[in-house]
Amino acid sequence: MSSPTAVPALRVEHLSKRFGRAVAVDDVSLSVPPGEVFGFLGPNGAGKSTTIRMVLGLLRPTGGSVAVFGVPADDVGRAHRHLAYVPADVALWPWLTGRECLDLLAGVGPGTDLDYRAELVERFALDPDRRARAYSTGNRQKVALVAAFATRAPLLVLDEPTSGLDPLMEREFRRCVAEAAGRGQAVFLSSHQLGEVEAVCSRVGILRGGRLVEVAGLPDLRRLRRSELDVTLAEPAGAALADVEGVEDLRWRSPVELTMTLSGPPGPVLRALARLEVVSLVVREPSLEELFLDFYGDTVSPRPGASV
Amino acid sequence: MTAASVPAAAGPVVTGLAVRSVRRGTAVVTVLAAALPALVAVQFRRLDQALAGPSLAALAENPAIRTLFGPPVALDDVGGFTVWRTGTPVLVLVGTWAALTASRVTRGEEEAGRWDLLLGGRTRLPEVVLRHLAVTAGAAALAGVAVTAGLLLAGTAVSGAVLFGALVAGTGACGAALGALAGQLLAERRAAAGAAVGVLLTGLLLRMVADGVPALAWLHWLGPFGLLSRSAPYADDAVVPVLLLAAADVGLAAAAWWVAGRRDVGGAPLRRTGAVRARSLRSLAALAVRRVRRPVLAWGAGLAAYFLLIGVLATTMTEFLAENADFADLAAQAGFAGLETVSGYVSALLALLALPVGAFVAGRVADTAADEVAGRLALVHGLPVSRVRWLATDLSAVAAGAVLLVVLAGAATWVGAATVGAGLTSGEALAGALNVLPVVALCLGAAVVALAWAPGAVLPLGSLPAVGGYLLLVLADTLGWPGWVRGISPFAHLAGVPAVPPDVPGLVGMLVLAAVLTAAGAVGYARRDLRG
Repeated sequence: MSSPTAVPALRVEHLSKRFGRAVAVDDVSLSVPPGEVFGFLGPNGAGKSTTIRMVLGLLRPTGGSVAVFGVPADDVGRAHRHLAYVPADVALWPWLTGRECLDLLAGVGPGTDLDYRAELVERFALDPDRRARAYSTGNRQKVALVAAFATRAPLLVLDEPTSGLDPLMEREFRRCVAEAAGRGQAVFLSSHQLGEVEAVCSRVGILRGGRLVEVAGLPDLRRLRRSELDVTLAEPAGAALADVEGVEDLRWRSPVELTMTLSGPPGPVLRALARLEVVSLVVREPSLEELFLDFYGDTVSPRPGASV
Repeated sequence: MTAASVPAAAGPVVTGLAVRSVRRGTAVVTVLAAALPALVAVQFRRLDQALAGPSLAALAENPAIRTLFGPPVALDDVGGFTVWRTGTPVLVLVGTWAALTASRVTRGEEEAGRWDLLLGGRTRLPEVVLRHLAVTAGAAALAGVAVTAGLLLAGTAVSGAVLFGALVAGTGACGAALGALAGQLLAERRAAAGAAVGVLLTGLLLRMVADGVPALAWLHWLGPFGLLSRSAPYADDAVVPVLLLAAADVGLAAAAWWVAGRRDVGGAPLRRTGAVRARSLRSLAALAVRRVRRPVLAWGAGLAAYFLLIGVLATTMTEFLAENADFADLAAQAGFAGLETVSGYVSALLALLALPVGAFVAGRVADTAADEVAGRLALVHGLPVSRVRWLATDLSAVAAGAVLLVVLAGAATWVGAATVGAGLTSGEALAGALNVLPVVALCLGAAVVALAWAPGAVLPLGSLPAVGGYLLLVLADTLGWPGWVRGISPFAHLAGVPAVPPDVPGLVGMLVLAAVLTAAGAVGYARRDLRG
C-alpha cells in the first residue's frame, strides 16, 4: 500500500470485465503512486489491454472501479487531463501527416512541451511530414510515443508500446521512460517483454488469465529470473560445477556438453568455468511464458491477497 | 509426424473466403430485389383498373416521375407496370450494392493488409481479384434470379420476367466489375467505392438526358438504365441490350484482371503524388471538418451535376405536358394539378434530394463506426474529451456538410432552370431544397441510434428514413395502401415546396423526433464499450 495520504496516480479496485460468459479481467486490484514506473506483465490474452481500456474509460467495467488521481475513469473529460495514452496497435487516419497527428494530439491533449516534442521527433528519427498511410507499424507507434512523452501529464499509460520498434528505438524509449520518471511522471507500462520491464520498472504486476497473480518489486523480479547455459568443454571435467552457487538443474548431455539453469548473478559460474577449457558458451534467457510455466504451471491458482 | 494436408487447388479456398465476405449482404439484397417487384405486381392485380387507370396515367405523365422512372411502356400490363415502377430503384439498389461490395472485398481487404496474408500463399493477385469479382457478380445474379422467380410467381409473362431478371443481374455484375476495376486503379477503398458508384449512376443521368432530349436518345446505349429502357421487358422484350450489357460486364472484368496483373500489391496506377501540404490541425473541430471535406466535395460534384440536369430539363418535361392537354386535364381530375408547371416538377424532384443527402449523413456516421473498429479513435479517446463532446463536434461538421449539399443542389437546379429560361427563382429553388433537411435530420438521428446500439448496421439503419421512407411512399401511393401506413413515411409529411407552402407542423414534428433520436443515441454511445 502506498501512503494513504497521497492520492495514487492510478487506483484499480476489484476490477472485473466479462464479455458475455468469458471473463477477461477478474477482480484485479492495484495502485500506482505518483512517480512510479509500474510494469504490467502478462502473456498474450492475459487481459492487459482490457484492463488498460477500462483505465481509459473505453470499456465499462462489469465490476469494481478505476480512479486516475482520484477522478473516476468514466469521467473522461477530467480524468484524461492527468494522463497520456499509447495504444497497443496505433492506427492513424491515413490521410493525415505525422505532424498533423502530433498537432491534433497536442492541441486537444493535457498540455505539451513543444520544444521537448521537437527533440523527441529527432531522437526517434521520425519523419513527421509523411502521410500516415506511408508509415510502418513502428513509425505509427513513434507518433503516439512522441505525442505521449511530450505531454506533461503526470501519468503515462503505455500499452505494449515497443512491439514495433527496432532495438535502437527501444533504447531511446527506455531513456524516455527514465526521463519521464525523473520529471516525476508515473508510467503504467504494459508489456510481455521481461527485459524491457526489468530495465525501466521499479515494480511489476503479473497478469494471467485475467487475474493478478503476482505484484513484486524489481529485486524480487530478479529472483524470478533465470537463464539457461549451454557449455561445451574441450575435455571431460567431472563434477566440477555441481556445487557452484546459483546453479540448478545441471545436466550432462555428453562427457563434454552440459546444460544448466542459473539463478542469481552469474559471477560464481563464470569463475568456475574460467578454470576449465571452454569451447563454447551459450546463455539463453527463458521467455516470460517459460517463467510462467516454471512458476505457476499450466493451471494458475492465483495467490490470495496478491493485490497491493 | 502426420502428413501436411495440401488442398488440391488454392483457388476454391479463396472463393470460399469471398463467399463468406458477401453472403449476409447478398441475402438482404436478394430478398429486397425479389420482394419489391413481386409485391407491386401482386398488388397491381388487386387494383380496380377502372378507377385506378386515369390516376395511374396521370402519375405516369408527371414529369418528375417520368424523369425518375423513364417513360412508361405497357402500363396496362402487370409486368410492364411493375418494371416501369420498380425497374430503376431495383437496378440502383443491386448495382450500387454490388459496386460497394466489390470495392470493399477487393481494395478494402487489401488496404487493411489482410491480402498480404492471402497472397503469401499460392494464389496470385489477378486470380484473387477475379474470384472476388466473380462471387460478387454471382451474388448479383442470384438477385436477378430471385427477381425473375418473384415475377413468375406473381403471374407475369415468362419472357419479360426472364429479361428483367437478366437486366438486374447484368446491372449488378456491372456494378461489381466497376467496383473491382476502380479498386485496381485507386489505392483507397473509399475513393474506389465513390468512383464506381459515380460511374454507375452517371448511367442514370445519361438515361434522363436520352429521355428528355430526342436528339440524344442514343445515350440510352451507354448505361444499364438506358439499356433497360431499350430492352423494354413485357413490351418489346428486346434481347440485344441485355447481350450488350453482358459484353460490357465481361470487358470491365477483363480490364480489372489486366490492371491487377500489372501493379504492386498495396499500390495503384492512379495514386495521388506530389508534396504533402502542411496544414494546421489543432482542434477536434478542425479534425471533424477534415473528415467530411472530401466526401462533401465528391457528393457535391455528383449532386450539382444531377440537379443542374434536372433544372435544364425543366422546360422539356413540362412542355410535353403543356402540348398534351388531355394528360394535364386527367392529372388535374386525379388531384395532381400543377404538375405541368415548372415549380411542381422541381418540387417533386427536389424532395428526392433527401435520399442522397440522407445516405451521405448515414455514411459519415458509418465512417465513425468504422474508425472505431479500426482503432483510429483510440488516440482521440485518450484525450481529455468526453465521448459526447467528440460526437457532437463530429456530427456538427456532418450536419453542416449536409446543409451545404442541400444548398448546392438547390443552387444547381436554379442555374439549370435559368439557362433554359424556365422562370424558377433562386428563392424557390433553395426553399425546395432546404425543405428536405428534416428528413436528413431523421437519417442522422437514426444513424446515431445505430451507432449506439447496432454499430455494425449504421449505414442501412441511417439511410432507412430516407430510402425506406421513399420506397414506402411510392408503394403506398401506387397501390392505394391505407393512410396510416403512408403516414409512417417521412415524405408523407413533406409538402411539395416550392409549388405549395411548407408543411410546418410536419417539419417541426420530424425535427423534434430527429433531436430525440440523436440525443438518445449520443447517451447510448457514451455509455457503451468502445470496439477495436
